[in-house]
Amino acid sequence: MKDEKSWDWHSGKKEIPVKEWQNRFNWVEEPYVSPDGEKIASIVNTDEARFSVCVNGETWENNFEKAWSLKFMPDGRLATLVSNDEEWTACVDGVSWETRFDYTWDLKFTPDGSSIAVAVQKDGQYGMAVNDTIWDRLYENISGVVLSDQGTSAAVVQADPLGQGDIEGFSSGIFCAAVNGVAQQEKFMNIWDLSFDSKGKQLAYSIRKNRVDYSISRGSQPWKKNFQFSWKPEFIDKENSVIAPVRQGGKWFLFKDEAPFWNKSYGQLWKLAIHGNGKKIAAVVSDNFGKWTVCENDETWNFYCDTIISDLFYSDNGNLLIAVFKDKGLWDIAVNQKAWNIRADKLWSPVVSRDDTIVAARMEKDGVFYLVVNGKVYKEYFDMVFEPQISPDNDKILLKTMKNGIYSRQILSLDKVL
Amino acid sequence: MQDKDTLTTNAKDVIDEGVEKGLSRLTPEKISKVINQVLTKETGARFKAYVETCMRCGLCADACSIFLSNDRDPRFSPAAKVKQTILEMIKKKGKVSKLFLKDAVRIAHAECNVCKRCSMYCPFGIDIAYMMLLVRRICHKLEITPLYIQDTVNSHSATMNQMWVKEDEWIDTLQWQEEDAREEFKDLRIPLDKDGADIMYSVIAPEPKFQAGLIYQAAVIMHAAGLNWTMPSTPGWDNSNMAMFTGDFEISGRIAKAHYEAAAKLHVNKIVMGECGHAFRSVYDVGNRWIGWTMPPVKLVHAIDFYHDLLTSGRIKIKEKYKKTVTLHDPCNVSRGRGLHEKAREIVNILCESFIEMTPNREHNYCCGAGGGVINCGPPWKNTRMVNNREKKEQLERTGAKVLIAPCHNCHSGLEDIIEYYGVEMEVKFFGDIIYEVMEKEIYQKRRLK
Repeated sequence: MKDEKSWDWHSGKKEIPVKEWQNRFNWVEEPYVSPDGEKIASIVNTDEARFSVCVNGETWENNFEKAWSLKFMPDGRLATLVSNDEEWTACVDGVSWETRFDYTWDLKFTPDGSSIAVAVQKDGQYGMAVNDTIWDRLYENISGVVLSDQGTSAAVVQADPLGQGDIEGFSSGIFCAAVNGVAQQEKFMNIWDLSFDSKGKQLAYSIRKNRVDYSISRGSQPWKKNFQFSWKPEFIDKENSVIAPVRQGGKWFLFKDEAPFWNKSYGQLWKLAIHGNGKKIAAVVSDNFGKWTVCENDETWNFYCDTIISDLFYSDNGNLLIAVFKDKGLWDIAVNQKAWNIRADKLWSPVVSRDDTIVAARMEKDGVFYLVVNGKVYKEYFDMVFEPQISPDNDKILLKTMKNGIYSRQILSLDKVL
Repeated sequence: MQDKDTLTTNAKDVIDEGVEKGLSRLTPEKISKVINQVLTKETGARFKAYVETCMRCGLCADACSIFLSNDRDPRFSPAAKVKQTILEMIKKKGKVSKLFLKDAVRIAHAECNVCKRCSMYCPFGIDIAYMMLLVRRICHKLEITPLYIQDTVNSHSATMNQMWVKEDEWIDTLQWQEEDAREEFKDLRIPLDKDGADIMYSVIAPEPKFQAGLIYQAAVIMHAAGLNWTMPSTPGWDNSNMAMFTGDFEISGRIAKAHYEAAAKLHVNKIVMGECGHAFRSVYDVGNRWIGWTMPPVKLVHAIDFYHDLLTSGRIKIKEKYKKTVTLHDPCNVSRGRGLHEKAREIVNILCESFIEMTPNREHNYCCGAGGGVINCGPPWKNTRMVNNREKKEQLERTGAKVLIAPCHNCHSGLEDIIEYYGVEMEVKFFGDIIYEVMEKEIYQKRRLK
């Protein structure tokens, strides 16, 4: 778990030269930075078909035939997927798991870092491994891998074999959800969009019952009502309810437990955001073809964009509803209906301070990277800006950047930025 | 080579297991219910205008290479295909027989490439491909879609790629190609999931399944051009979409969503897609619009556009022009559908010493005969397809060229079938094949610093 209070919020600027790594290794792959900004790491090629990980200039003692999917965990540990002797496993801070697989991918963590999960293939069978332990049962195929915040693993699995061109077998339903490796009873023609409740105990997902009927299943219990299509459902824990975007009569609706929940219908409705046990529910919607906006509690925003809304989320306190959107070919952010008008070429989802007063993001414009805070672009530009962080007391920003081959971690007081 | 006399076939005799089993389950009530639901709930003014506007003038007939390939048999004219299918369904208020539906499947799935050439010759611009796709939509809902293409759509729905490529197989193939390509460039990478790269490169599933060398070539071109690029390790990497051609619009939309969400998640400036025409139609015109995206939410660049930019900007230099005489097949979906035919010619002239035009060409070119999902209906329909491709075969032969450039996967496969079936002495190549063969294998930025 991120422990921001223990981070260094006072040191001003710390620098790590990274360009010189190019001289030490055959090549250096793209860099990743730890949440606290104290570490920068890359997969490096040390020799022909030999790879390692370089962290702040120090190379892991072990090396590998292959390595990919380097990621810092929320607690600052560094994980990657590695291969030696044609066997794959996960490796955390240079220590590989004991279990070996024929392939591993889709590396995931819980927010507190207590669980690390990967999708695995072993002897042509598929499943997941969590904290070095493979599922007891493996399957014909796997997709849609998810990990709950508590470490429950789940995926869509193909429970039965399917011959080439066997469209009858496919129609009979061979897919089910598996939780911690245990297949749920009900099989469907298709399953997508696995979604855990906040405790990681219940699972809901989109299903296809037959060629034309789609619905939602909660655990192994499908809704009786059929729809023309559906997107990812979400739980409202307090009510023990499931809400989901569903299509009927050519229009999209928000349903709750098989009944209409919002009054309005749309040309499109997806990407649900929920706060306060369902007190606030929002979705990306389109009420005119090619025009996108946000609907919150059945009321649409006074805001439109013409391209896409890629992210929609509430701040932890629920006071801010934030949308990352693209309009007329450029990216922007809207907070509570108000667009920043920063017009970026690339834009990453922002971070929000604990008191909701600061929203900070990184963006690229005209080939260079900037920090942008509350809609104001910080004066200095960089070759790269990594995800910023906001201090627990809401008055400083941790800016992580790369310029001229030097990685820099600096603390900016808000008055310097705004 | 086949004798012309042996090329006649009665397509009505084709047995497609998927169609036959589907038909066996149908009841008159189900047939009329589905047809009327589609006609009344899923069509609007556009459909009404088309139905009421067609004057049976017959100008569409000569536009159809399948009509020409069948000795101008009027039954194969586009207007007749409409008359034999959707108009009859309207006239009989959905009360049509199983035998009728069997013919409708054949006409809509095997005797129309939905290439839209006929629309250009219709005085009213009636989109007959749309009418045929509506028939396919009805077939989809009646579950009488041909088996092979239905299996492809099943794969799309379960894996988000058209060839049942498993998630590990996809990544492993990229890493294998990367390793092989390091024989040419020691530091070459196929960067996976590189957040913030300029380009996400997407392909169609036959590449990792059967033609991994094309990924190798693309990686060499990207690397030599000094580009900041990536490929997603997650579903969404396949830009193809056969659901679009079976009338399974729901799965078609989910496929397009996966593609663009992969790109948005990687924060790339643009998607560059490999040499495929139907995939372009899917992500530029059809799948995206079913979702509600009027235009691609992430800039989309077809390989023709991309190669043109690399070659004219000097990012890729040509060591020596390709010697053999080439001709060019204009894929319908990127020529008629996007107007990339002039850029394609500029690429040919940059790459090759000798170029012979095919006639007709550019937006008037005949379909390869495989397009619109026709080749994906598989072996039961191959003989029918070959008969229907006779005009295309004659068009190819008239060029006298020994090398045929076809910047589209479906075209490539269909043209190879024609060449083999009719014994045409030609070799089919992608632009990528020729660029890889004649390019200087140097990295752009390093060369610039010399």
